[in-house]
Amino acid sequence: MHRGDAVGRHTLRLRDATRARGFESHIYVDVVEDDTRDETLPVVHYAASAQPGDVVVYQFATASFMAPWLAERAETLVVNYHNITPPDLMAPWDNHLALGQVRAQADLRLLVPRTTLAIADSAYNETHLVAAGFASTAVVPPSADLGVDLVAHDEGAPRSGRGARWLVVGRVSPNKAIQHTIAALAVTRAHSDPEATLLIIGKPATSSYDDALHRYVAELGLTGAVTFGGHASDDTVVAAYESSDVLVVTSEHEGFCVPVVEAMAIGLPVVAFDQGALPEVLGDAGTFVDSVDPYSLASTISALLADASRKGVLSAAARRRLSQLDLPAAAGRFVDLLEGLVASGAAPG
Amino acid sequence: MSGPLSPVGDSSGTGGEVENQERAAAALRAAFERLAPQGSDAWNFLAAFTHLGDRYGPYQPGASGLSELLRQPEPPSRRARRMARLIPGQAKAASEGSETELDLAMAQVVEAFRFLSARVTALEERLAGEDRPVDGPSWLVPAAELGEWVGPVVAHIVSHAPSGAVLHGDSGKGALLDALSDAGVSALGVEPRGGVALQALERGCSVTINEVLDDLAGRPAGSLGGVVLSGVVDRLPLHALLPLLSHARRTLPLGAPIVVVASEPSAASAAWQKPALDLIDGRPLHAETWEVLLDRAGFVDIAPLPPNGAADRRFVVVASTPA
Repeated sequence: MHRGDAVGRHTLRLRDATRARGFESHIYVDVVEDDTRDETLPVVHYAASAQPGDVVVYQFATASFMAPWLAERAETLVVNYHNITPPDLMAPWDNHLALGQVRAQADLRLLVPRTTLAIADSAYNETHLVAAGFASTAVVPPSADLGVDLVAHDEGAPRSGRGARWLVVGRVSPNKAIQHTIAALAVTRAHSDPEATLLIIGKPATSSYDDALHRYVAELGLTGAVTFGGHASDDTVVAAYESSDVLVVTSEHEGFCVPVVEAMAIGLPVVAFDQGALPEVLGDAGTFVDSVDPYSLASTISALLADASRKGVLSAAARRRLSQLDLPAAAGRFVDLLEGLVASGAAPG
Repeated sequence: MSGPLSPVGDSSGTGGEVENQERAAAALRAAFERLAPQGSDAWNFLAAFTHLGDRYGPYQPGASGLSELLRQPEPPSRRARRMARLIPGQAKAASEGSETELDLAMAQVVEAFRFLSARVTALEERLAGEDRPVDGPSWLVPAAELGEWVGPVVAHIVSHAPSGAVLHGDSGKGALLDALSDAGVSALGVEPRGGVALQALERGCSVTINEVLDDLAGRPAGSLGGVVLSGVVDRLPLHALLPLLSHARRTLPLGAPIVVVASEPSAASAAWQKPALDLIDGRPLHAETWEVLLDRAGFVDIAPLPPNGAADRRFVVVASTPA
């Protein structure tokens, strides 16, 4: 578990919210990481400290030996599902990653008969839970600390004198399909904005995909126009949001996508493919493209950036959408569900 | 910033523009997809011992058994059983069907030897093409358009009445492709610099974003009507030029023309940036050297085209396959 990723932040806030209600709560992990060493315990220690009436909340994002282990235990089990990337998106790039996703799919099915409640962070993800056979499901968005304060992005500022600044934030992974953004940048620079640039912030999931993106950038003559920022601190990410003109999300599969929420919080326009949970999360605060065609994407981004009034409308819609999602209260809603289990007797308290 | 682009499918665009943009978009996608490694050697080695589903099918070096499996439409039960074999600990359970343990073991041995054979072949091919600069050099050297050589090259090609499409390696913005098309000759371009290729694609030229060596290697024997090589012949090292000419020879039918448009050796130092001079193994060769290389590759009727008075310090050597 890491502080810097969405699931890690969500888990920490959920634990804090649970403790705030008067429950004892601990985070157990299969691998203790340096940055969260003070917040976590090795999962192998859990059995010795287990108490009757415990509720175990399993943060499900990838394959782990914890799934079959939990399947054999007796505690009330809540699965908090953050999505499994389809393995066929990974297989051309990294078979081991793909196999991990195949195993995760098997893990999910394994937990179906043992799970009292399965909570997805989006309605899109909930459909996966239902398809897998979970009988009782709910949706609560991630309670991740966005790491940004609500600020008014300068959507009306003139952009003359420099090219548009595109931004991609998220793990550099095949399912993010960043190559579509790069291709659209090439088209934009060739047709309408020769100074347009792209900043990609995120840790590579696999070197083969990262290497291919670097080579693609070079072959398209974009070496000076695309910056690979790698993993970045919260401050760096916020600075990137503030200095960019648009967040571009060309993912072929997204279970929630915290970066679009961060962009909404800061008032940065979002242009995204109409895929996965993105329409649900963005609502009318996003501008969607329904194909991977780089010309359509380039055209959509150029039109948006040239239309100050449209950006203002989107910024207002983003504020409404954030209010609806009410992420600061998400952890509380999650704990409400856990308390409901205790009260109903599903988890003897 | 100027106004927005006309999106594909927008009624304001002409049918031809829409078609050209769709072709360009497809070329951009293909240019990226070719970079996918299809798994990894380590995985494929492991898979050779555990993946039994295609035991008698052709083994594809570098291809992912998992990738193929995930894409195959088959009943969920059969797919799950095959998938289980990929996961350690579940292979035994998967074997509880019609196949015996002995079947599985023998298939693993056969598959492992097939894999090792394929790996040896792949390594031999890799050694043969060592120093082939697949990473980078093309974008270190700007695309060199044919300029005043377009006319003489087209005239030479047309005089041979090519029986199929003429391929131009390092086709740049596509001036030769346009001229060949205007002359009634079907023309294909191969250009590794995607940003440059885009300009030709959007005008309606048929261009693949790739290294011409890779492109020719994948074409069937005798499938082209002629080959024109420019730019690429100045930057590839000798180790790569020999297979380049060999593939060109293989893809041409009897009596088909090949044209080499090359720079004078002294011209490169003036035209190339310092990183290109430092990092690129290839260097321009003399016209006499090209005549030797073409002869060695099996071409005949080798001759220089007369100088056309251009000041670009390039020359053209033509040849053809034996009639």
